[in-house]
Amino acid sequence: MDKSEIKVCVLRIEGTNNEEELYYAFKRLGASPELVHLKKLKDIFDYNCLMIPGGFSTGDYVRAGAIFASRIRAKIGNNLHKFIDDGWPVGGICNGFQVLVELGVLPGFTRREYPDACLFLNDSARFECRPTLLKHESKGKCVFTRNIPKGEIMLVPSAHGEGKLLFPKDKESEYYNKLFENDQVVFRYVDKDGEYAGYPWNPNGSAYNIAGICNEAGNVFGMMPHPERAFFDKNKSGMSGMNVFKSVLDYIEEK
Amino acid sequence: MSSKQNVFEINLDLPDEQLLELSNKIGVGLSLDEMKSVKNYFKEKGRNPTDIEIQAIGQAWSEHCCYKSSKNLLKKFIFNIEAPQNIFVIKEDAGVVEFDKDYAYVLALESHNHPSAVEPYGGAATGVGGILRDVVCMGAQPVALIDPIFFGPLDLPYDQLPKGLKHPEFLFRGVVAGIRDYGNRVGIPTVSGSVYFHPGYTGNCLVNVGCVGIIKKEDIIHSRVKELGDIFVMVGGRTGKDGIHGVNFASAELDETSETSSRSAVQAGDPLTKEPLIHACLEANAKKLLNGMKDLGGGGLSCVVGEMAHAGGFGAKIKLEKVLLKEKGMKPWEIWISESQERMMLAVSKENLSKVLEIFDMWDVEAVVIGEAIAEKRVLVYYQGEKIFDMDSEFLTGGPLYARDVKIVKRDQKDIQTQAPKDTNDILIKMLSDPNIASKDWVILQYDHTVRGSTSLTPLYGDVVNFSPQDSSIVKPVEELSKGLVISTAVNPFLLEYDPYWGAASAIDEIYRNIVAVGGRPHSLADCLNFGNPEKPESFGDFYQAVTGLNFATKDLQISFSSGNVSLYNESMTGSCPPTPTIVGIGIIDDVDKKITSNFKKEGNSIYLIGNTNREFGGSLYYRLLGINGGISPKMNPENLMNYSKTLLSCMESGIIVSCHDLSEGGLAVAIAEMSFGSDFGASIDLPVLKNMRADEFIFSESNTRWVVEVKNDDRFESILRNANVPFLKLGKVKGNRIEMKQNGVKIIDASVEKLREKWKNVIWEHLG
Repeated sequence: MDKSEIKVCVLRIEGTNNEEELYYAFKRLGASPELVHLKKLKDIFDYNCLMIPGGFSTGDYVRAGAIFASRIRAKIGNNLHKFIDDGWPVGGICNGFQVLVELGVLPGFTRREYPDACLFLNDSARFECRPTLLKHESKGKCVFTRNIPKGEIMLVPSAHGEGKLLFPKDKESEYYNKLFENDQVVFRYVDKDGEYAGYPWNPNGSAYNIAGICNEAGNVFGMMPHPERAFFDKNKSGMSGMNVFKSVLDYIEEK
Repeated sequence: MSSKQNVFEINLDLPDEQLLELSNKIGVGLSLDEMKSVKNYFKEKGRNPTDIEIQAIGQAWSEHCCYKSSKNLLKKFIFNIEAPQNIFVIKEDAGVVEFDKDYAYVLALESHNHPSAVEPYGGAATGVGGILRDVVCMGAQPVALIDPIFFGPLDLPYDQLPKGLKHPEFLFRGVVAGIRDYGNRVGIPTVSGSVYFHPGYTGNCLVNVGCVGIIKKEDIIHSRVKELGDIFVMVGGRTGKDGIHGVNFASAELDETSETSSRSAVQAGDPLTKEPLIHACLEANAKKLLNGMKDLGGGGLSCVVGEMAHAGGFGAKIKLEKVLLKEKGMKPWEIWISESQERMMLAVSKENLSKVLEIFDMWDVEAVVIGEAIAEKRVLVYYQGEKIFDMDSEFLTGGPLYARDVKIVKRDQKDIQTQAPKDTNDILIKMLSDPNIASKDWVILQYDHTVRGSTSLTPLYGDVVNFSPQDSSIVKPVEELSKGLVISTAVNPFLLEYDPYWGAASAIDEIYRNIVAVGGRPHSLADCLNFGNPEKPESFGDFYQAVTGLNFATKDLQISFSSGNVSLYNESMTGSCPPTPTIVGIGIIDDVDKKITSNFKKEGNSIYLIGNTNREFGGSLYYRLLGINGGISPKMNPENLMNYSKTLLSCMESGIIVSCHDLSEGGLAVAIAEMSFGSDFGASIDLPVLKNMRADEFIFSESNTRWVVEVKNDDRFESILRNANVPFLKLGKVKGNRIEMKQNGVKIIDASVEKLREKWKNVIWEHLG
């Protein structure tokens, strides 16, 4: 498939407010993104990639992402699972990550209709907008970061109040083990020396400094920081948030 | 007219004292003279007004709506400053200025002081909501929010807090949370602002809100009816009892009873109605389906209908029962003047109506037809078929104008000789720990300043987790252009309190410096003039001096005020707020990748001071810390400001300057410290020996028109400045991780960057946690 034929569905409802920058991230790379209101979405299979942008969908007055997730479930339901099973990429950034977790497709150990993780209130108990350094950890499974060498460190802005990945207490160690064993940990917060450091390098207190994860198959991906806002800030080896979008387009092109 | 439908006749055939009593009783805030002219108007018509009619006059004639005290002076000193880049300014809700050949930017600045003093969270949030509508109603996409805020001291002991006032810490927390929760949810980055603490704000906190938008020139829409028969479509939030008499409340002093008497004047904000409302309005406008658009702000429907019809040369006929309400049992006059949030008024031609309604339906935003434009220049309001309002729009929107008494309070200024301090190092530490200088990261990091992915320079920038404060922020508003909008805020209330004329001129100098410091060409200004009660001649004298100071500083700069707002009556039992003309400035940078930041870049680079340093300590931080009330206030010379700026910009353009910071409060010493905070480096400075100034005075002077720059090619830099007649002084080098300043080999400042940074960073956090 030629890049210009790749149709990316950037899903929006009221309060998703990062959709334009996400749209431009794909547009700049020559793909054909579309801003699609959930009400107007006919068939998810009209698209090659589904992206859930950041923002405050429906205001996030209850648990972040919960309402958007249930509206997606009501609108496309099983087709979302089929879309994922067919290997099409699904990505969520910030609020979009929260939505994918609420949908149960991340970390997605088992198929279920309710979440088995959540993105909880930051340790600082406040919304924080600050630059963060991310280390790429995926060994190659995640289709959104395949072009980025393992160990690469990139500067990506964060802006969230609820970004701390949490698992049920009784399953914590099992789940973290699985994440690492399955190569599902994609990005972790680090300091300037590349070490896993505490606040403010890790802005939310996430265990193991986890910033982004994928599912077992590697085609569903969510991260709290905003690669779509870091398009022009390249690191020394020329990598930036742009490489996330480049990777997934390359994957679709080859698919 | 009858008194069915909850509409009552108001008898104005009363003696004077009872007329004034009536005005107070029904809450319209009209003076005796104003009541008399209303009485005469209706006498000629041979009837009494209805309650809704007199309420509408109360709205339209409030200080907030018609600028009756300030207009004469604004016309003389502010509006007449011209600049070629202005497309149209002042007349509409926001100023429109040329960005490039196809695009314009839109700038608006307002105050939301009184509501925030009573209900800080809701007051500040709806301030953001209101300023967004001012920009959207021009058809523009908002791209940046600006929030200058002013409070009493955070450590004010509770037993010193006058009855009926809220503690500055409570107000500060509430205002920041309101701005955060509204701005972040609508997804417009809050990129600029300022925070000031001063005892004069204890009873009158100020919350100013600005917004910048971007628009294709062909999409600019006006706040008026275009054609006869245009349909008024009211869109967005529903109308409720919140925000009744908001403009009258904003046009009076606050007192002990404001909490209980005026709580209903504050509106409730809803960013999740606003967000889709913005999308729907901009979509309808971009599809050329609208003839006019205006936001419902102060005065509600009463102002918007009259002004839109009047501006188009028409009248209006409204069916008030069509308005969608939040609650049952609202009286017609309440519906007419309610200032409920998230509402916009569209003028739409008949053939486009269904398409417009379809767009709002798609976004799940309510839209309803409430009336139409008529040829006769009158506003007619019907309720359930009965006419309850019939006035000519000329009289309604005319409003009185006053030439208030001006009394200039003489402030004698003399130079003062002081003792040299024992420990200059300690003074620098005290300055950095002063809440007005200390890091505002507690505030700034709570605001999303990178949403929309177009923020090219954030307000705090440096070394990932360590930041230097930046003089301006930069937003790149158009995808296909590398051009950026440079956005900054300036005003120093301490300088204005000391000398309103030169304090105002200094604010213009500072905004210009701020824009130039990041590589921007100053391009336009907005002012929000926050002052005390204009009926008090001393207070209005301060206003007079400040606007003449603004005029002096600005008239030859080839930039002008594209938008502005006046907030008077910032006065309570603790007295008036310090004169506070908040200035927002916009600059243009042709390529955002060429921005200059304030943090030090490389060890070994030279550090220079640009501009002249004088014995100007009136209103300075240094004298405040020494407990001295005196000295000469900083002056400025517009010609020097332009020349120095032009020269600096050309050095930046050619890459010789790698970092730059303007000198403001705390002077040179604070500026150098701030430049080191966002880097790993310190500085080693050799101070000159001067005849009229000690070293401590030199490093803490607050003279205007000065910058510190880090330079990488000394010879070229010096020759350019010499040729342009720009005064400069080589101070030293970027070096190590300490700030060292010596004179004749004697160290007067010697401290590690780490230690200074900690002092600077922790003060606000220690107060608020």
